[in-house]
Formats: sequence, structure tokens, C-alpha cells
Amino acid sequence: MRAYDILIIDGEPIVRESIREWLARAGYNVEAVGSVDDALEAASEHEIHVAVADHRPDNAGAIDMLCRVKSEHPKITTVLIASQPSHTVEEAAAQACEVDHVLRPFPPDRLERLIRETMRSIHAEREGPVGVGLAPEPLAEVVEPRETFVLSSVALKALFDSLAASNRVFAVVEREGKYSYQAVADFAELSLDFDTTLLPPTRFLFPPRETLLDLRLGASPAAEPVVSEEASVLFGVHPYDLRAIELLDEVFMGQQPDPNYIARRRNTILIGIECLRPSATAFAPSMDADVVESGFDLMLAPVNGDFAVIVGTERGSKILQGRDGIRAPTDAEIAALSAQREAASKRYRVQLSVSRARLPRLLEDYYDDPYWGDRSRTCLSCGSCVMVCPTCFCFDVADQVDLDLSTARRVRRWDGCMLSDFALVASGENFRATREDRFRHRMFRKGKYLVERYGIVGCVGCGRCTTACLPRIASPAEAWNEIAEIDRAERRRTRTLRGKADSYVPHMATLKRVAPLTEREKVFELRLPRDQEVGHQPGQFVMVSVPGIGEAPISIASSPTRRGSIELAIRDTGNVTHAMHGLAPGAVLGVRGPFGNGFPLEALEWRDLILIAGGIGLFPLRSLIQYVADRRDRFGDVTILYGARSPEERVFTVDLAEWSRREDLTLRQTVDQGSEAWGGHVGVITTLIPSIVIQPAKTMAVVVGPPVMYRFVIGELKKKGLADDQIAVSLERHMKCGTGKCGHCQINGIYACQDGPVFTLEELNVLQEAVA
Amino acid sequence: MTPRAGRVRKPGVAFFDFTCCEGCQLDALNLTEDQIMDLLRAVEIVEFREVKTGGCESYDISFVEGSIAREEDADRLRDIRERSKTVIALGACAHIGGVNCLRNLVPADAALQEVYGDAAGDYDILDTVLPIDAVIDVDYVIPGCPINPEEFARTVADLLLGKEPRLPRHPVCVECKMAGNLCVFEKGQTCVGPITRAGCKAICVTAGRHCWGCRGLVDDPNIDAQREILDDAGLTVEQILEEFRIYFSCGKEAL
Amino acid sequence: MSSTNIHVHHVTRIEGHADIDVILSDGRIEKVLWSVTESPRLFEVMLRGRDYGDVAHVASRICGICSIAHSLASIRATEKAFGIEVSRQSEKLRSLLFHAEVLESHILHAYFLAAPDFLGVDSAVSLASSDEDALRRAMRLKRLAYVLAEELAGRKTHPISCVVGGFAKLPDPRRLEAVLTALRDSLADLERTVDLFASLEMPDFARETEYIALTDPHEYAFLSNTVASSDTGSSPIEAFVEEIEEFCVPHSTAKYARHRRPSYMVGALSRFNLSHDRLRTRAKDAAERLGLVAPCHNPHANTSAQVVECMHAAEESISILEELLGAPLSSPRVEVVPRAGRGIGVVEAPRGLLIHDYTYEASGAIASANCIIPTNQNHGNIQADMEALLPSLVDPSEDEIRHRLEVLVRAYDPCVSCSTHALRVRVGRTEARGARP
Repeated sequence: MRAYDILIIDGEPIVRESIREWLARAGYNVEAVGSVDDALEAASEHEIHVAVADHRPDNAGAIDMLCRVKSEHPKITTVLIASQPSHTVEEAAAQACEVDHVLRPFPPDRLERLIRETMRSIHAEREGPVGVGLAPEPLAEVVEPRETFVLSSVALKALFDSLAASNRVFAVVEREGKYSYQAVADFAELSLDFDTTLLPPTRFLFPPRETLLDLRLGASPAAEPVVSEEASVLFGVHPYDLRAIELLDEVFMGQQPDPNYIARRRNTILIGIECLRPSATAFAPSMDADVVESGFDLMLAPVNGDFAVIVGTERGSKILQGRDGIRAPTDAEIAALSAQREAASKRYRVQLSVSRARLPRLLEDYYDDPYWGDRSRTCLSCGSCVMVCPTCFCFDVADQVDLDLSTARRVRRWDGCMLSDFALVASGENFRATREDRFRHRMFRKGKYLVERYGIVGCVGCGRCTTACLPRIASPAEAWNEIAEIDRAERRRTRTLRGKADSYVPHMATLKRVAPLTEREKVFELRLPRDQEVGHQPGQFVMVSVPGIGEAPISIASSPTRRGSIELAIRDTGNVTHAMHGLAPGAVLGVRGPFGNGFPLEALEWRDLILIAGGIGLFPLRSLIQYVADRRDRFGDVTILYGARSPEERVFTVDLAEWSRREDLTLRQTVDQGSEAWGGHVGVITTLIPSIVIQPAKTMAVVVGPPVMYRFVIGELKKKGLADDQIAVSLERHMKCGTGKCGHCQINGIYACQDGPVFTLEELNVLQEAVA
Repeated sequence: MTPRAGRVRKPGVAFFDFTCCEGCQLDALNLTEDQIMDLLRAVEIVEFREVKTGGCESYDISFVEGSIAREEDADRLRDIRERSKTVIALGACAHIGGVNCLRNLVPADAALQEVYGDAAGDYDILDTVLPIDAVIDVDYVIPGCPINPEEFARTVADLLLGKEPRLPRHPVCVECKMAGNLCVFEKGQTCVGPITRAGCKAICVTAGRHCWGCRGLVDDPNIDAQREILDDAGLTVEQILEEFRIYFSCGKEAL
Repeated sequence: MSSTNIHVHHVTRIEGHADIDVILSDGRIEKVLWSVTESPRLFEVMLRGRDYGDVAHVASRICGICSIAHSLASIRATEKAFGIEVSRQSEKLRSLLFHAEVLESHILHAYFLAAPDFLGVDSAVSLASSDEDALRRAMRLKRLAYVLAEELAGRKTHPISCVVGGFAKLPDPRRLEAVLTALRDSLADLERTVDLFASLEMPDFARETEYIALTDPHEYAFLSNTVASSDTGSSPIEAFVEEIEEFCVPHSTAKYARHRRPSYMVGALSRFNLSHDRLRTRAKDAAERLGLVAPCHNPHANTSAQVVECMHAAEESISILEELLGAPLSSPRVEVVPRAGRGIGVVEAPRGLLIHDYTYEASGAIASANCIIPTNQNHGNIQADMEALLPSLVDPSEDEIRHRLEVLVRAYDPCVSCSTHALRVRVGRTEARGARP
């Protein structure tokens, strides 16, 4: 019986032979057949590992052929090569039977890669563990169903003391506001209420450096394994880290089990603690890792001053046996537990905007996107992201020789795919030589490769890498979200106004809603036909026209993150605006744009923001405030200052109320003249500035309001230590064309409609006419 | 060369120093008693002016500490190269110029005038201080100010076994994270660890400070990104230059 | 008239490069010249413009063997310029760190640099075959000092954690306990060290000179601000620096210094002569066994004084550790606010009085720096001792001349790499050696 690595099934001889030739050149034994009967015959006569069929109109039976091969020879891995549209093919393939993989034809090395991986795992399976006495087996008997008890904190301390009496206990200790796992002997030293630790607890199972072998050199060399059997307890492990340990278990205890890991894992008691105070960069719920049902011996959760404890294993159950102060939970406590878990899940600021399940496919589609190069431009290749990652487990092995030249140790230490020499081989070739290669590889490994290989997501959303990354590019959630955004934009591309040639022909938009803001101002919600988006940036404007009356520039008051429509807030002051005030929902208006530069988002991101609006200056600024609120994790502390002449003249009061409720925004309001009903601050807007505390080096201010306001507000901001390039203003000018031609909006040499309306003071310093 | 190969001649090892503090040659011997005894059994120390009287004609391994600041020193160094099978730069001064780089910020004449006043004319120094590889070919490097004694021991053991000694290619951040340190930037300070070659176990951050870059740049440093993170941390252009000045401003790697 | 030149090129077993030249004329010694040939390093230039946070990092690199002394002199200068007082705990930790360096440096000199002359070997390494015990003992003591420094400052050579204002990180008390135990155990090694050096015969030579060192009424001083002279008594360091004069000589890259006489001596022997009554018990006993009695005018006894100080350093370290470990350690650092001004930091480095004199700008950058190094202060005295020693030799062979001069030079434990870091010149170049006007 001959063994073929790959069987190609294709009715078209040219295709069949070219695939065969290409794979044969790559070093595989390849058989190619033209029909399903020949395929089945080949499969019964020879040992075949992978069957490949190409889905094309002239090879329409590809799915069926693979299905038949699979149903009769389930061990064969089936691969369907599909040109687009791949989603429908994939669904068809999945519905018809279990085709193992569906691949795009390009880039062609993907098929080769897949085949290589398949062959490797087949070899591993066949040969089994070599030289390792430990077979994979369950760690500790899992207990079903999970039982919950309640312990007083005194009883918890007693439990800790009894564990610490006979084991090394590692628990979380606070130092300068940061948390880390340390050997702890005294219960009073440890913390159970922490956001996240600098390094994950996985390092106790897979340490940064460990000796695998003691070596004897010379004429009769020898190797002795070094395996630590020391027992320890990890006291206080968050669910996301337990999820990471699940992955490590799969990696180190599945095929080719790792004796050092297994010994540590067996001898380590895991005591979890629910995470009620997520770190600002975490997104565990998006990765299904904020709550776990297994993977612990005991799981703790504070409840009304006591501690709930869930038993996960027999071992955990034994730890609790015969202890004082244990009781069943009350109904109120059970309700409180689920309520606090619910509340905790809402405290995560970062979210994945795409479903986890879609990630592998999504990433694959954007393998060659320029995003990876742009995003990794500032990568330092410092490895911080992978060193602090609980799901990273790459390592390097080296012999360290003693000076007596007769003994040595074979030492394993953490390594990482982000390091420049990770894929460097002795011949000097580096398979991932660029930052882009390495950056993409990490994001693919976390979001695709590990999922495909182990069935467990490669990222648990702990947020440690985001915090550790100095150029702030390491967050997988951000990268994936941005790829998802690129994907959405790609699909929307034909459906937004942005990018279309400027012309004087307005797009007709429908007025969906009109609502009064004050006596003189109304907000208008406009929707473009066929779900088109305007595709604007905060701070940009559109030209709105009422046929016969005229056209006027209007700032967009809503953020592009709020899809489906735009909101324009308008004061009744001129012909066009007056006409608009008379319109009712259903009316049709002309819209052109978006125009202008918008607020400098690149300069605002990652900074503390002071956003200052006077009167209807809030109209354009609202688009930025909404944007910041929707992308909250990309900005530091945000302070909004709003001033109006009187309480009644304040606009967007509903929004103001919402912002003031939000914990992650600070809103301060003032009015020039108070009223009896007004309980807030009275005084001009500049009086709000002295009392705010800012860190000048990392702060940006944006000011929008009536011209008279600028000089005084800017003066106060400068007193706070802000430089000219840290203050941006939006200037109102008369505009007619929106395309930088008509000349109305010109300030010295520049056109506000194109180069503005937003400028930093530094930019304005050269424009004498601009002084507000 | 194989270990335990009978009574063959032990390799002759020599230590030389030029413009430096001589801390590296002292730290080379900051090993445990047993390590030193092993070392003395494995090699013959044939020249070590600081601790030994007497010299030798040729050397198997020469450790050279210090930068080159005078023409006569360059001549002496070339002579050492001629007589040595293997030359190893020992420490930052030999490797990248060390803190001596700072002297290069001022023209040599002005520097002498400032220090020796009217007597300046009596001294003859090179225009700039040089790392030794600007004068001779260097086989290996043991970086650091001062060197890490363990790395010294490992390099010697590797060479004696006929194994190519290798330096880490990754930056200090890797070892800093392994040590469980809080990032210096998170403490509101700055650091050049992200572009500095590891191998020191992030000793300075572990001891409560920041990385100055004494082990030199990694192979492919992202200088622009480093500049950006320093800029983000609120440093002025002058302060950023200062961060690169102490260890990155002379020799082949000069920024 | 026959004339012979003896040239000792790069004296071995000292820190740095220095030569001795002797001109014999008809068997008579015409001239003897001690000259430093180490390349100038120009630290004054290197320090100018540095931020105060980097100053000690750079200043420490003046010398690899006494880098703790340079670091602490530098830090103390900066603190004085900024008007900062550190906590008592920081002072104790610094004192402990300092004693670690004294112990390490003296063991290195006594065993590795000086002893081979008296044991008839070319280096201490040769002891591996003749007296392995002694070699191992020396390495153990040296290593212990390293470990103590590592626990306190992260590293012995170029310490890391000691900073302006105190310490960047506190030591781990559990690890200090272990060092304390090791220090107690080391007393036996130190007693045997005293025995060894008591058995060596020191050359018989004496020349009275001016002895200068820091003093303190309560302790054997390494960190104080009062300078004492055997000629003129005590004065604050600020007054003292105005009294000394630094000058260049044409044959040497190091600078020289003088006080009241043409030359003076600093180092272990000066300290012993001025503060011997404040030594700890075992150290006093060691002095007696070594035959060291104050005032001692034999420069060769400097090595004996170092052995006495090793014992003192161990005893003092034990006492400081016992005190520190009696209570929990508190916050490591006081707040540092830079300001413009001048500060003079002074310490007793293992080789003697070390002065860092800085002027700061308000920004915290250094405007100018001057360092006065122990070995520079001794150069004149070495030259004078040589001139006095040679005529006392009866019909010496060239080898004997060479040997006796090298032994004399080594007794001073000169640190030539340090001394070429000589900084600002206050007085123009001169060869005159007369008293100051």
C-alpha cells in the first residue's frame, strides 16, 4: 500500500496537473484523479492524508466529491479550494458535510501551509509522545454540578492559613497601586480586589527560565531531566487567566505532553477570584473570559462582606471539607452574586466590534492589507506584549556550560514571535524579517491560528499587552476592530458620499426628525437614500440646500460612529435656515459634502482632553464628544466645559444630562446669568478653567464658540501650561462653494472650508486675519 | 578544542585596558570561588597587568577593556591584535565607547583646554574617543557598563568548547518583563530599554532606576518609534537627544 | 661619567598606567620620576550639561574599583547644592554600602596587589598552587563584599539604587539577614587575614609627612564633612578646598595637589593616624597584632592599615545591619527639587579623601564640576618618598632599585585611572614645589 500525502480530485486535466506539479515540487507525494470514483478507489488502495478539490463552475461537483470521500474515509482531511464568493461556498460545504477546510486560491502558499500543518499533526499523532512517560490525562476530578458555599472572611483567612502551612502560596500583592503575584505567608498582605497583575499567574506553571536537563559533557555524555515537584497554590486568579491556563493545558498536556508543565500543573492548586474591577484596557467579555465555569479548584467571589466559594474539583472539595464557618448561600446572596457579575461585565471599556467566530475568516481576508504595515510602523520589537501575555508560550532552549567544562544545563526561557530574531535560522534567513510580518503574525496567531489548532481562542482579553505597549499598538481588540472597520468601510465604500467627486449637485436627503433645542434652535435628523453614509469626521460640515432658497454650510452635530443618519443643529438666522425651521419630517433637502478638515483626531487620541464650547459652539463639538464617548478607550481623561448666556439658552440639554451621568466624562457647566431654577455655576466660561487639574504634557484642548470667547479662554488655557500646538479652535467663516474656490472663507492664503475650519493656534499664528 | 583532552597546553588568556575605569576586568573575576578555580584550571592567565607581573608574546584570547583616545593607544591595540588569535571587547568602553562618548560632544582642543588649562599643549589626544572596532577587527563582544560576570563566564566556557558565543538580539524589555518589573514609563520616567540589547537581566530597572543603554543598540532598533514614545512622555527634543547621548553617540552605532 | 636609565614601563598590580624613571649617574641616583601615562579622560567635560539624575551614573565611571565612593561623593555634592538632607535610614544604608566597598577594595589590594611582593610570587593567582587556602579566603571576602553591595545598590561596580535624595529601592530585609550571618562568619577569615599580614615583613622606611583625612568625633569616619590635618587640625570641607592647590606637572597626565607642605598623604594610613582611637574592638586588636602604632610614618604600613580597616568595616557593617533590621524599613527617598548652586561632596574613598565639587544650573543640569582624587593628592608624596628612599639603599642593584620602588608605589594603592580624571585647573602649570605664598 502506497502512502500519498495528497489526493487531488479535478475533472479538468490542466488544473489537476498544475496543482499536482506545484505540490510535488514542494516535496509531497501527490496523486491526482479526475472523478470521484477514481478518488474513492485511490483512497481504498492507498493511505491518503489530504484530499483537495477546486470549486469552479466547471468542477461543480467538488463539494459532493469531497463529501463522499470524507464519509467513506473519515480520517482524510478534506480541503476545498474556493474562488469567491467564498461565504456561500463555505456555507454550502458546511451544510453538505464536514469539509474540513475551505481556502481561497490566493495566496497559493496558504494551501501549502495548511498541508504542512496537517501532515505535522498526523505525524505527531502516529508517533505519539516520544521519550515522555506521561500520557495526557485529566488533572483533577471535575465536580458536577458546581456547588456554591459561603465563607466568612475569618473562615477564608483560616483556609488560607491551612494552605500556607504546607504549600508555597502565590497571591496578589499591591505595590504603588500596581499588582503582582508574590509568595505570601500572611493573609493580611494579599489583595483579592485588584484590576490585573503586571505578569500573569501562568508564569508559575510555565516560568520565564527553567532548567529542563542537567547535562554531563565529555566522553560519556548524559542527560538527567530536572522536574520540580514542589507543591504550590495560586490564591486569587481571575477568570481570564484561568481561561489562559485552559489553553496552556491543551498545548502542554495534549499531544507531545511536556513533563515540566504537567508536574507543575498537577502540583498547583488554583483558587480563582471573580474580577469585579476590570482594568481599563481589558475586554474579557468579548473573548468569553470574564466568567469561567471550570478550570479552577475553587472560585471565590466577595458577597456582602463574606465570600462565596464555588467548588470546581474534587481537590477543591477536599480543601473545604471539615472547615468551620461554611454555609449554604441565601437566596439574597445568590441574587447579589449574579447582579454584581452583571454589573462587572458592564464596566469593561473595550469591546470587540466583531463576533469572535468571524475573526479567523476576517483576518484571512485582510492578510495583505496595508493596515499591518501602517500599524506596526512604531513597533519597537521589544517583546513586551508577548512577555506579559497569559496565552503566549513560545520558548527558546539553549545549553549553558559551566566553567568546569564538564557540566551544563539545558535551559528553556520565554521567547516571542514579536522579537526580531524569533524566525531567524542558522543560515541567516529570517522568515519574519519585518515588523509588519511579526505584528501581523501575532494578531493572526491570537485570532486565527490558535483557534484553528486548539479550538480555544488565543487571547483572553486581559488587556496586559495594551498597557505594556509603549507605542500603544498591541491591543488585539483594537487591531481586530480596525480590521473589522476596514472591512465595513470596504463594503460601504460604494455607499458613502465621501470619496465621490465634488460637484454642485446635491444628494437628496430625507428629513426624518425635527426637534426644538431652544426657542431659536432646532435639531434636524437627515437620512441619505439607500442607507448611504456621509462618511464624515467630527468637526466637518455639509452644504445644505433648500431648492429655490439657497445653500448654507452647516456643521454636523453627530458623530460618524452613530450610523444611519446625521444630525444638524441649526439656529434660525438666515434665509436657508429660516426655511428649514419651517420644514416637517418627510421633507427632502439637498446635501453636499462632507467639507473641511474636522478635528485633529490623530493629535487628540491617547491624550487627556479639555473640550470647551460656548453657546451653539456645542453644535460641532457635540460630534467630537459623541465620538470620544463611543471610542472612550482611545482617550485619556476627558473634561467638557460648557457655557451659555442663560440656563434656557443651553442647547442639547439631554446630551448634557447624559454626559454628566457618565463616570468616564467630566462635565462642568456655567451660565452668564442665572435664574431661580438654576442651581449650577454662574459666571463666564473662563471662570471654569482655573479649578481644573491638568497634566500639560499629555493634554489637548479644543475650543468652539463665539469669536469673543476665544481670546479669554485661550489665555486661561495657556496659564495652565498648554502650548500653541495643544489648543485647537474651530473658526466660523462665510462659505459658498465648500470646495476652496469662491473665496468667501479665505483667511490670508488659506480657505477655511478646505484647510479648516479647525486650526491649532500654532497654525493660526501665521494668519493675521484669523485672530478671533 | 575539547574538554578533558589530556595535558594539552591550556589556552593563554590576556587582559588589556585602555581608556576606562577598569571595572570590567575586576568584574570578570566577580564569580564564585569555585568558578574562579575552574577558570584558573581551564586557562592560563598570561597577562593581566592589574593583578599580575609579567607578560607574554602571543595570546589565544585577549580581552580588551577601554576606548581608544590616543594614537599611541591605537598602536598598542594593533600590536595586541597581531599577537592574539581571538580579540574580545570587554565592556561598553571597548564595545561602543561607553561614557567616554560624552567627551566627543566637545572638540578635543577645547576639552583639554578646559581641563588642563595652560598645560593643555602637553597632551595629545585623538579628535574623538573610539571603540576598539574602529581600530582593529574584533571577534566577539561582552557588552555592558560594567559587564555581566555570568555572561563573561558563559562566553569563556563557550569559546573553550568551540561554540560560537552569542549575544541576545532582543531588547532589555524582554528581561525586564521576565523580572516582573513595572515599566519605567508607567512610573512617569523614561528609559532606552526598548532599543538596548538585553543580557543584563534588566539590572538597572530591577534596582529601581531606568536603562541608560550601556549594552548598545539592538540589531534593528526602531529609533523613530523610540523618539515618539519619549516625545509622548513629554520630553523636549534636547532631552531626547540627551537620552541617546551617553551610550549611543560614538562608534559604528552612533545615532 | 656613565649614566644608566631604569625605566619601569606600566607598573603592574596597580589601577591604571604609570611609569617610574630613575637616572643613575656614576652609581649615584641623579633623578627619580614618578609619572602617570594613562590617557586623560576629561570627566569635567563629560559631566557638564548632564542632568542631576545622570550625574552620579557618569561620575561613578571615573573608577571601577571605587565606584561607590565616586557615586556617593557625587550624590552628596548634588544634595548639598540642592539643600537636601536625606533620612537617617538612608545615611545608615549608605554607610553600609560604603563599608562594603572599603572591605572589597582593601582585600583586593592587600591580597592581590600587595601581598605577592612579600610572598615571592608574580600574582595572587599563583597562590592557587602554593596557598590555595589564602586565595580562596581572599575570593570569599571579596565576594561577600560584592553581595552586600548588590543587596543594597543592585551592583558593586557602578552601584544603581543609590540616588540623589536616598535610595531608588529598598533592600529586602530577608536577604540582608542572610548577609548579616555571612558577615559574622567572615570574622574568622578576617582574623586569619590579620595573621597572614602580621607574618609578612614590611620594609623599614619612614618619612614624616602631613596626614589628611575626614574625621568625626563619634566614629572612624568615611562619610563626614570635617577634614583633619596632622599639621593644622580640623576644618569644614568648604574651607579645606580653598586651602589646597591643584597643579599640573609636565611629565604626568594626572594632576597633583598640596596643602601646607610640598606634599601630603591620604588613605588608610592617614585615617589610622588621625582616627585610630575610634576603631572597633577587633580592629584595634588587629592593629596591635600588625605592629601598627599611631603616628606611623612608614608609607609601607598603609597596607597594614587597610587590613585593620577591613576588620573595622566588617564589624561596623554587622552593627549597622543589626540596627537596621531591628525595625521595618521606611520610605527610601526624600523629594528632590533642583536649584542653582554649588555643593561639595566629600568621602573617604578606600584610597583617601575624595572631593566632588559641582555647580548646578536651576534646571538641574550641571554647569561645572571638579573632582579631587585621592591618588592625585598622593602623587607628590610618592615622588618625595622615592627621593627619600633611594639614598637609604646601600649599594643597590638595578633590580633592587626597581623592586623597592614598585613595592613603595603599590603600598599607596594608587588608582591611576581615577587620577587622570583630574578636572579643573585652578592654578597654572608649575614645577615649583615650594610652600604656598
